Amino acid sequence: MLRRALLLGLGRGPLGRGLGTHRGGSTLDWDGKVSEIKKKIQSILPGGTWDPLYDTSYLPPERADVVIVGGGVLGLSVAYWLKKLEKPRGAIRVLVVERDHTYSRASTVLSVGGIRQQFSVPENVQLSLFSIDFLRNINEYLAVVDDPPLDIQFNPSGYLLLASEKGAAIMENNVKVQRQEGAKVSLMSPEQLRNKFPWINTEGVALASYGMEQEGWFDPWSLLQGLRRKVQSMGVLFCHGEVTRFVSSSNHVETASGEKVNLKRIHEVHVKIDQSLEYQPVECAIVINAAGAWSGQVAELAGIGKGPPGTLQGTKLPVELRKRYVYLWHCPQGPGLETPFVIDPSGTYFRREGLGQNYLGGCSPTEEEEPDPGNLEVDHDFFQDRVWPTLAQRVPAFESLKVRSAWAGYYDYNTFDQNGVVGPHPLVLNMYFATGFSGHGLQQAPAVGRAVAEMVLEGHFKTINLSSFLFSRFYLGEKVQEHNII
Amino acid sequence: MLKIIIPTTMLIPLTWLSKSNMIWINSTTHSLLISLISLSYLNQFSDNSLNFSLLFFSDPLSAPLLALTTWLLPLMLTASQNHLSKETIARKKLYITMLTLLQLFLIMTFTATELIMFYILFEATLAPTLIIITRWGNQTERLNAGLYFLFYTLVGSLPLLIALLYIQNTTGSLNFLIAQYWVKPISTTWSNIFLWLACMMAFMVKMPLYGLHLWLPKAHVEAPIAGSMVLAAVLLKLGGYGMMRITVLLNPLTGQMAYPFLMLSLWGMIMTSSICLRQTDLKSLIAYSSVSHMALVIVAVLIQTPWSYMGATALMIAHGLTSSMLFCLANSNYERVHSRTMILARGLQTLLPLMAAWWLLASLANLALPPTINLLGELFVMMASFSWSNTTIALMGTNIIITALYSLYMLITTLRGKQTDHVKNIKPSFTRENALMALHLLPLLLLSLNPKIVLGPIH
Repeated sequence: MLRRALLLGLGRGPLGRGLGTHRGGSTLDWDGKVSEIKKKIQSILPGGTWDPLYDTSYLPPERADVVIVGGGVLGLSVAYWLKKLEKPRGAIRVLVVERDHTYSRASTVLSVGGIRQQFSVPENVQLSLFSIDFLRNINEYLAVVDDPPLDIQFNPSGYLLLASEKGAAIMENNVKVQRQEGAKVSLMSPEQLRNKFPWINTEGVALASYGMEQEGWFDPWSLLQGLRRKVQSMGVLFCHGEVTRFVSSSNHVETASGEKVNLKRIHEVHVKIDQSLEYQPVECAIVINAAGAWSGQVAELAGIGKGPPGTLQGTKLPVELRKRYVYLWHCPQGPGLETPFVIDPSGTYFRREGLGQNYLGGCSPTEEEEPDPGNLEVDHDFFQDRVWPTLAQRVPAFESLKVRSAWAGYYDYNTFDQNGVVGPHPLVLNMYFATGFSGHGLQQAPAVGRAVAEMVLEGHFKTINLSSFLFSRFYLGEKVQEHNII
Repeated sequence: MLKIIIPTTMLIPLTWLSKSNMIWINSTTHSLLISLISLSYLNQFSDNSLNFSLLFFSDPLSAPLLALTTWLLPLMLTASQNHLSKETIARKKLYITMLTLLQLFLIMTFTATELIMFYILFEATLAPTLIIITRWGNQTERLNAGLYFLFYTLVGSLPLLIALLYIQNTTGSLNFLIAQYWVKPISTTWSNIFLWLACMMAFMVKMPLYGLHLWLPKAHVEAPIAGSMVLAAVLLKLGGYGMMRITVLLNPLTGQMAYPFLMLSLWGMIMTSSICLRQTDLKSLIAYSSVSHMALVIVAVLIQTPWSYMGATALMIAHGLTSSMLFCLANSNYERVHSRTMILARGLQTLLPLMAAWWLLASLANLALPPTINLLGELFVMMASFSWSNTTIALMGTNIIITALYSLYMLITTLRGKQTDHVKNIKPSFTRENALMALHLLPLLLLSLNPKIVLGPIH
């Protein structure tokens, strides 16, 4: 009632009607002033936060239980599972800090969007299996009342990995591991390959593994939007800003063997608002580093890696930016609609895109050819020199193709073993990682989010045991090497 | 009485003139000494009250409350040292001044003879509390909480002013000691009904009564630790004390008017206990449990039997100490993990075993374990309400069960279970914190040896 009286009183009175109806705006800007006053009164009335001097609704809250640095698919997945797995509803206050809401440089949306179970590490297979189950039933997980259902445009065309003579034995082993975990993968000889995919040139191919179910590609942007929508409906707070500082306190402790370590605890996260010098200290209990390609920088802010090299103190988070190119071309005589996601032994890959004989593909450069990750400019010569020859050799129809467009994206490349880092840091006890997946983060995001949420809420992994992906392996030197990474 | 009031007033210049490394030591020690003085008032010689002057008196109802108030100031100062350590020296002194001012007003409120003086100081306690909540609270919601707190209490107590002035005009004096002898039974007319409502509503809001309790969880959760302690321990008891004083003037109308409030309290007792079972925020759980315990006090005061008055007084003192201790424990958790959510800080028994012992004792006191005075109070109130109406035993019994349930739930969630990784490097318990808990618990346990001190004027 009070609100209505205020609206009536401050609305268009006789004075306002006269001045405001002039086209081109009046010099008094009556409308603007009125809406400002209305906004201010609304923020004063009980139920809203109130700052007497100016509107602070763009700032993050002063306190949050969990701060997730990075709002890409991994960060949102962790937020979703935290809210889903918390026992009493609404118990934890989660804040997602994302510095670019257009996601112009995020790895998620620049990704090719493939999902496969054909890994050699069993945990990777389990992660992908759960993720595909999540994606196929996405409308059961991410349904929001009154919103249209999600369509992530999943194309279940499978992956086709080709192996030369040298790699055939490794491929057989991998397929054995995958089958043990429950993935449905078939091994094909060159003869069978030619029968099934007549457009392939099987020269140099000794064995091929073809994923028959649960593999293919989907639209990462709709997954991101679906997650964002659901997570906002579950009460997660979003903030448009950048994490610039961690305020932490240290404890010098001695381990049982007499070694002195410095245990740190992050108390506050300073979030700097976009295009402004203003920052807001957010008091928090847990920080989750899901910053993707920039996780290394965020970890350095927390003091991870500041110490003599070779000690746990001095072990950095080995995640860095690596630029990868994706090219889209048109080939009218190209392979048909049943084309899987083909990965050549040389590292070149391609997949069908849409129904108009367009294909997406690229190749991972070798260590020497690594492009400069400073910007997202595309190098077309790379396609001419490296990608096209191998493509044409494998699929003769690709000898005549026309490149339509290309883009570049970042991998959150784990220089240690190209697999993800999950779980708490041994010294900075309240920073959890969910990063470093080096190109297969999107396909494992739902499962990784659940694993990190279990770690935060329960203290151990409950469904998929990712203890080999913990940070301590960088210090202990235990690589989780994947044979077969593009 | 001046021997308490003047030293308390002098605590303010003491704080402002101390050296910066001595402010906490000076103020805590001197407030402890003042509380020792107030203990002497607990020794009541006669059935009548102990009169100090025309303005101040103390009787077996207000003496324990006075002792609780003065005992609480050193505890509040001890508890506040950590979260104020990063403030400037002037802010720290201002904080201590606010606490001392609040203490001063509370002392004078509990010992006032004139009801108008009681009212003025009752209102005056709002100002330092509001400043403490809104300036030093932790989150942006504290502004909202301060607003709720201020306006609920103010709107409830303005009619009380009018009622008191009216009584002053008709009976000629509001001196409590005289009024209890001059009181005439008031008839059931509409104006008398409004008079009754006007007198009681202020205290109902303060207690708080179940329907008017919205300000309490907000204020308790957003206040800093000293604010929560004083709110839970003493400010709520102002309501109970005021009700016990003012019902003397309002007989026999209370017999009929009390019914809706009795129903609200009995129902609210169970409702707020049940809400505790679903709380995720630790301080919020303790705040709702305060509402539940105070509902028992309202029931006791409105029934107006000797046993219930004894129970109400015992329950007020017991709840004051227990609730304040639980808030201190929750704060020690919060200072380590920086989160009040219970599920984020679990399994603390293996990390902080002594603090776990204090948690256990505080929770056991909260669920009215014999032989604490909590049990005494609850038992007396239960018996009196049973004799008033047999059905209330079902509600009271349910409340006792649910209280036990949420106290144990709080214990198990914070102490037992596997720890999560991020609590593994919390700082061990400080001596200051252990001393704080011991100083809360010691009076509680000692009182169970000699409860007749807190059983009020009827005993």
